[in-house]
Amino acid sequence: MPSSKRTEALYALLFISPFLLHLLIFFIFAFVRTIWFSFTDKTTLRDSYNFVGLQNFINLFGEERFLLALQHSIGFMLVVTTIQTFLALATAAVLNQRLRGITFFRTVYYIPSVLSSAAVTVIAIWFFQKTGFLNTFIGWVSAHSPVILALVGSFVLAQAVQVGLERMRGLPVAPTDPALAAISAVVAIALTWLLGAMGLVGPREARPPEFTWLTNPDSFLGLPIPLWSIVMLNIFTTIPTLMLIFLAGLQDIPKSVYEAAAIDGASPVQQFFWVTVPMLRPVTFLVVTLSLIGTLQMFDQVALMGDSAPLNSIIVMAYYVYNSVFSGEGQIGMASAAALVLAVLTFVVVFLQRTFGISEKAH
Amino acid sequence: MKKLCLAALAVAGLSSGLAQTVVKLQGFGGNDTAIMSSLVREVVNPALEKDGIRAEYQGIEGDYKAALLNALAAGTAGDLFYVDIFWSEPVFASGKVEPLDAYFSKQELGVFVPSLLNAFSFKGKIYGLPKDFNTLALQFNKDLFDEAGVKYPNQADTWETFKAKLQQVQSKLKDVAGMCVVADFARFGAFAYATGWKPFNAQGKTVLDANFKRAFEFYTSLVKDGAGKYAQDLGEGWTGGCFGSEKAAVAIEGNWIGGFLKDKAPNMKFGTTFLPLDPVTKQRGNFIYTVSWSMNAASKNKQAAAKVLRALASPEAQNWILSRGLALPSRSALAGSPVFQRADKYGELSRVVFNGSTRQGGNVLPFKFGSYDGGDWMRPINEALQAVITGKKSVDQAIADAQTELNKLVK
Repeated sequence: MPSSKRTEALYALLFISPFLLHLLIFFIFAFVRTIWFSFTDKTTLRDSYNFVGLQNFINLFGEERFLLALQHSIGFMLVVTTIQTFLALATAAVLNQRLRGITFFRTVYYIPSVLSSAAVTVIAIWFFQKTGFLNTFIGWVSAHSPVILALVGSFVLAQAVQVGLERMRGLPVAPTDPALAAISAVVAIALTWLLGAMGLVGPREARPPEFTWLTNPDSFLGLPIPLWSIVMLNIFTTIPTLMLIFLAGLQDIPKSVYEAAAIDGASPVQQFFWVTVPMLRPVTFLVVTLSLIGTLQMFDQVALMGDSAPLNSIIVMAYYVYNSVFSGEGQIGMASAAALVLAVLTFVVVFLQRTFGISEKAH
Repeated sequence: MKKLCLAALAVAGLSSGLAQTVVKLQGFGGNDTAIMSSLVREVVNPALEKDGIRAEYQGIEGDYKAALLNALAAGTAGDLFYVDIFWSEPVFASGKVEPLDAYFSKQELGVFVPSLLNAFSFKGKIYGLPKDFNTLALQFNKDLFDEAGVKYPNQADTWETFKAKLQQVQSKLKDVAGMCVVADFARFGAFAYATGWKPFNAQGKTVLDANFKRAFEFYTSLVKDGAGKYAQDLGEGWTGGCFGSEKAAVAIEGNWIGGFLKDKAPNMKFGTTFLPLDPVTKQRGNFIYTVSWSMNAASKNKQAAAKVLRALASPEAQNWILSRGLALPSRSALAGSPVFQRADKYGELSRVVFNGSTRQGGNVLPFKFGSYDGGDWMRPINEALQAVITGKKSVDQAIADAQTELNKLVK
């Protein structure tokens, strides 16, 4: 090797050495130790321990709480990844428009991901209480439903009448024409106010639902209700980051492709499904992969929920690992085995998604 | 060169003259950091200056137990540290904590309240000196009771008369709950102990028997019968939170509520009395909550640590803590302290909480669960309370489910 090359290699090594060292200590060393401990009966406080072979893994799959955690983690991953990918893409598509004040909306939609997970979870505990904001809001909406229905009904009616009149005059207006919608909105508000003043339409007595979110042992679609609260919370805090990645991807798509599609007569909806979605494949692959890993390893929101919800209804794999180490004598062996199962599961899921799901190549 | 050598020698001589043994103390963060640092600075360090020993307090924020277990396993724990009675036994059993019998004479240990010292003994050895302690007492808001025209709770109250008073307050004052009820064994357990029920029977098993059920039915009925509201529905996590914001007329807490009320509601007129009596046994129940100062078995400064420990548990240190109204002393001799005789509301609070540990407190048990992790043991009971309070399960169903969970845990 010529000396210039050697110097270059030395410099390269020097520059990456902090990262290498970090990787060596915190990942490789920790990973090897975890593998070793998973075959032993080590506890936190006892110094001596024995090799027990695969016993920890056998015990794990016989333990009810672990199986529950496994089931919750997989369910949580599927639900959250699907919903948040879809919503993030939709939000990004909306925020990619050239509209007045779009920067404001981009900022507003991004705020949830800036907030600390701890703060949001603590607020969520209060949000989901029986007499908390969510139930009160649902109660308010149900109490005002006659007014809301009257408003929506009169808007649809006014819009239909206007569009009908315009079409009779031979003008090709769309049912969603914004100018007509503005007039319809004014008419609807006036009409609803009139109905209200005449006493025909008014809010009913407010009765917030008695539904409990965090202490409910029931399940819905295979996941316990308290875990659904965490699903909502997690989606709310993760969408903005994914949306930002999609937005960057959207802005990379050349305008000329859309122009060509428009000349060929593609409608905006057709452009979205036949141009945007395929062109975004590498970004979608990244988003889905990040989301799968993130949801499988979700820990903080369950840990912070604490005793607000029964443990068995919110436990996930990462929390199971933590709970095994820091309760009682500290089952390091079992926890290491569980952590390895989680790692293998993550690899398998990402591999499956790469092979059968959205690939990283744009077509 | 010669000058340099001389200077180096001088520096070495100076530093050896200043050499001090530093004893590292570890305990809770939050308020404890400020309090313990002041105590160490004002009482402990001046007393040990002549021995060349200096103590340093390090408060651990967040999950103290997790941090301590980690530090013990990694060999980085302090020379002395708090051990909460709640999870003390597995830690003592691990061999990571030094027995104190070799460092303290029988006489020195005899000055502590016996029940507290016993709480930290394991297999005949003492593994910690009780730092201080607390029990539960009933605090009531005098203004709210006056406004509702209801008599104050008193120590002759039984569960029934107590509940009737709360029902009257709750029905007269529409926006005030009688009590905010928490789904927590740390409060409910006191009622269960009143019936004579114990967490473990003679065979070491947990049996949720008829006595347990009686207390369980009473406690959960507070919400059902309009004498209280579920704490979470009021947006609070503890009974003191509801009490301080006047959302509830009574609270069941220990002496720690005093500091909270001084900040949150300094003008509140409140009184303190004992928990109500079980109408059948005519007994009341109570918990002793306490924390020990324990010594690290791997400490390199055990003799110095023992001296610091002696200073931390000295009458001067305990008086310092007591006179600031922070916690109750673990030395029997301080029971006659003038602090307990103060006529104000905080004096009454301290007095009732202190006497909660005596015969007046009834069936008093330390807040510990043997070799089991307290959190794991309480969880099935807490979840049963929660399920019944929120109307998700019947009492029989909830108790049966909790028993199944406990059977799996308590082998």
